[in-house]
Amino acid sequence: MDVLTNVFHGFGVALLPVNLLYCFIGVFIGTLVGVLPGIGPISAMSLLLPVTLSGTPESGIIMMAGIYYGSMYGGSTTSILVNIPGEAASVVTCLDGHQMAKQGRAGPALGISALGSFIAGTFALIALMLVAPKLASVAIAFGPAEYFSLMVLGLVVLTFLTQGSMAKALLMACIGIVLGLVGLDSITAQPRLTFGRIELIDGIGLVPVVMGLFGLAEVLINTEQAIKRDVINAKITQLLPNKDDWKRSAGPIGRGTLMGFFLGILPGGGAVVASFASYALEKRLSKTPERFGHGAIEGVAGPEAANNAAAGGAFIPLMTLGIPPNVVMALLLGAFVIHGLQPGPLLITQNPGLFWGIVASMYIGNAMLLVLNLPLIGMWVKLLKLPYNVLFPLIVLFTIIGVYCSSNNVFDVYVMIAFGIIGYFMRKFGYEPAPLVLAFVLGPLLENNLRKSLILSQGDLMTFVERPISAACLVLAAILLIVPMLPSLRRKRELVALDEGA
Amino acid sequence: MSSTTRPPFRLNNSEFWTGVIGLGLGVFVIRSGLKLKLGTINDPGSGFMLFYLGLLMCAFAVSIILASVTEGGPTFGSRWEDVRWSKPVLIIACLIAYAFALEPLGFLIATIPLILLLLRIIDPVRWTLAVPLAVLAPVGVWWVLKHGLSIMLPTGTFEIG
Amino acid sequence: MLRRNRIAFSLSIAAAAIATLGTATIVRAQDYPTKPITLIVPWPAGGSTDISMRAIADAASKHLGQPIAIDNKGGGGGTVGPATMAAAAKPDGYTISQIPITVFRLPLMQEVSWNPDKDFSYIIHLTGYTFGITTNAESQFKTWKDVVDFAKANPGKVTYATPGAGTSLHVGMEQIAAMAGIKLTQVPFKGGAETNAAVLGNHTMLQADSTGWRPLVDAGKLRLLMVWTDKRSPNFPDAPTLKESGYPMVYDSPFGIAGPKGMDPKIVAKLHDAFKKAIEDPAVIATLAKFDMIPNYKNTEDYKKFVVEVTASERKVIESIGLGKK
Repeated sequence: MDVLTNVFHGFGVALLPVNLLYCFIGVFIGTLVGVLPGIGPISAMSLLLPVTLSGTPESGIIMMAGIYYGSMYGGSTTSILVNIPGEAASVVTCLDGHQMAKQGRAGPALGISALGSFIAGTFALIALMLVAPKLASVAIAFGPAEYFSLMVLGLVVLTFLTQGSMAKALLMACIGIVLGLVGLDSITAQPRLTFGRIELIDGIGLVPVVMGLFGLAEVLINTEQAIKRDVINAKITQLLPNKDDWKRSAGPIGRGTLMGFFLGILPGGGAVVASFASYALEKRLSKTPERFGHGAIEGVAGPEAANNAAAGGAFIPLMTLGIPPNVVMALLLGAFVIHGLQPGPLLITQNPGLFWGIVASMYIGNAMLLVLNLPLIGMWVKLLKLPYNVLFPLIVLFTIIGVYCSSNNVFDVYVMIAFGIIGYFMRKFGYEPAPLVLAFVLGPLLENNLRKSLILSQGDLMTFVERPISAACLVLAAILLIVPMLPSLRRKRELVALDEGA
Repeated sequence: MSSTTRPPFRLNNSEFWTGVIGLGLGVFVIRSGLKLKLGTINDPGSGFMLFYLGLLMCAFAVSIILASVTEGGPTFGSRWEDVRWSKPVLIIACLIAYAFALEPLGFLIATIPLILLLLRIIDPVRWTLAVPLAVLAPVGVWWVLKHGLSIMLPTGTFEIG
Repeated sequence: MLRRNRIAFSLSIAAAAIATLGTATIVRAQDYPTKPITLIVPWPAGGSTDISMRAIADAASKHLGQPIAIDNKGGGGGTVGPATMAAAAKPDGYTISQIPITVFRLPLMQEVSWNPDKDFSYIIHLTGYTFGITTNAESQFKTWKDVVDFAKANPGKVTYATPGAGTSLHVGMEQIAAMAGIKLTQVPFKGGAETNAAVLGNHTMLQADSTGWRPLVDAGKLRLLMVWTDKRSPNFPDAPTLKESGYPMVYDSPFGIAGPKGMDPKIVAKLHDAFKKAIEDPAVIATLAKFDMIPNYKNTEDYKKFVVEVTASERKVIESIGLGKK
């Protein structure tokens, strides 16, 4: 009952007209920056941080939070329409989302990602209200050894991302890790593989890599087709998901939400692992895994739900421990501190109006986002009716600007162009970019945590098996690796194993 | 599978050569790892991970090469059959030229010709559409970024933009 | 081809520049600033340095009349940002960086790409941190003496989380350990958020960091064993200082800001004045106090002298504890 009174109290704060206005401004800006790849919530929030000073702490933080989860909604749009992921978590959405767009099903893809996001976001908020303080311990239960094993589990997922040769996918993953390790070693501060280029000291940016490998390479592949064609081959039949789409998506959304929420609590990499893992899980559970990569709506619904639920989960360590799990949350922490508030164990008890007000406003913001985004789908789909010879130079322009804005650095534009060319040849020779990107994100975390855990355990490898969470991750990874081989073996023995795993 | 006759190995097998490239990269990574020092198991050095990754890369590359020798693979030519290979090459050339021009010329002066070129050389768009589009799209984006988000695109030596 | 074109191109630009009067740069220095300034903060967003620098930059931007954008370039113990700036940024005053003490220290420990004596135009010295050692509230360590006793019996078993290798926390801990005759094991994390999680989750026994641990100490989840300031902190009157614990040292890792080498002195003066006013602003002082920082103003000349002094004293410390460049 305590929770219920608090929730009412929270809505009382959130429904104040001024807070409603700030909430709307936040989600509106969030949608805008989310649609533009590269210009993520980070730049928008840093720019608006001073603006929040003028109002009350509630309205400032409500707006900042709005930008954050608003950008999560918009993030999938360019992935689906033109195969340009703006961040690592959207890479998965590209795999099937863009295929759906090519088949004339951009509407359902966008629709399921907006509705899936709404459902996941709502669930995450309810969970945040009910269990936030209890889950605080999850965030700190993960030490270096646990992170290492979680990253191993995350990397195993990549075996599900590929349709072609496993050796090629694994080679790509290794290259991804190596690329991720470029730059100053975070433990010894030694430069690695920088070839004396000062721009590489900071490492290779994720945005130029994904935009090159996906967006630009896609353009190169498309232009070599002899037929002058639109992005979409088929006629657009529907704008929203139909009954069959919903039936397929319900399970993935539910599972994606749960997975995203729990992995989102973990500082660093949680949201990315969640979206990739959700894709892998759905492909594994599907009775028709061969549809994945060719426009399966489950491959859009699950990861998108996971992605948004993770955004909700990420508030837990910030609000309860004052530990920001990612850069965006760190900016939000900045907004708190500027207003003289210290997120930490005492925040909820000392400032209940603030905490519950923010949570309630996020609920309202989620509903606003849905209203804002659904009508936009029609507009986005019309964009695809542009002939490709007009559209593709605009896509190129879009990638250049997105990459430049993500870092304000011309060097990143070179990196993007280089990866566009590499990505083109990779596709020509049947090497897939998704494993490379996943490994690129997880690799440095894997290495850093492996080294830290070995320092902590004084070189004892048993630390990974002795710690229960770590052991569980490793066991799960082993199961994931072994199980997919079983049905194929059985099939070879002409034993039908179709109804298992449903 | 093994019952079918083994296809003769040809040197223009693209699988084989991409595997060789992978092997080369693997060897390079191993060498970089060794140079950066492996450290010890209780305090792994900067090259620790790179060294073992390099070994893995070599292993995967070798398996790709072996598969290409035993099972054969598509030739280079077949990868570009029935496609207009000259078009991506043109775009790549444009983009490389653009990369060199961006810093000295600035965003606007470099990007407008790039978009115009792309509109005209692949599947030519009529001039009456290409010119306004090539001018308005970059200028529009530049204006929004500058005045809306106060993000400065490169101005170049002419300080335009 | 391309190269020759570029040379011809730059020649023509040079000619044009000479033709349009050599006074162009002076005019620009007077107009400065005409566009937003980027301030590199070489720490992750949300840490104590980041938030205090944002507050200072915000106040300074009011005096400069242009916004100051914060660019968080973390890594390398706070050296990646300044190093990137020294190598790549133009000395036009539109890119400046916070300069943590590691910029002077790391060159003593290993080969680096920058020279702290030559590669920066020092602008103003701003403030320093309050560092402290904490442990989990459930830990067996009630006082620093408990740590020393345990470490004497179990050499190398005591682990401590720092925000990076070669940071003041790392060097300071090693120096304390050397004085106490004990052996500790450092585990370098990235910034305060991660070290908080490490000690809260019992992954490391101790945490050595700036006051990002404050809300957790206030809430009784962490225990503060010692602070490294000159005098006891008014916010934590119960925690003894290093001196009181028998180590005659003060570790506060002072910091300032600098631009790339070769900046126009007029631009340096403008930035200096704006940032001086910023750290005199009561609102900024209040924000700094949230992180237990007190403004420690040094003008451009004094800052330059200070860099020389600090490099000399660091060299002694680094060599005495065996971290020096081989």
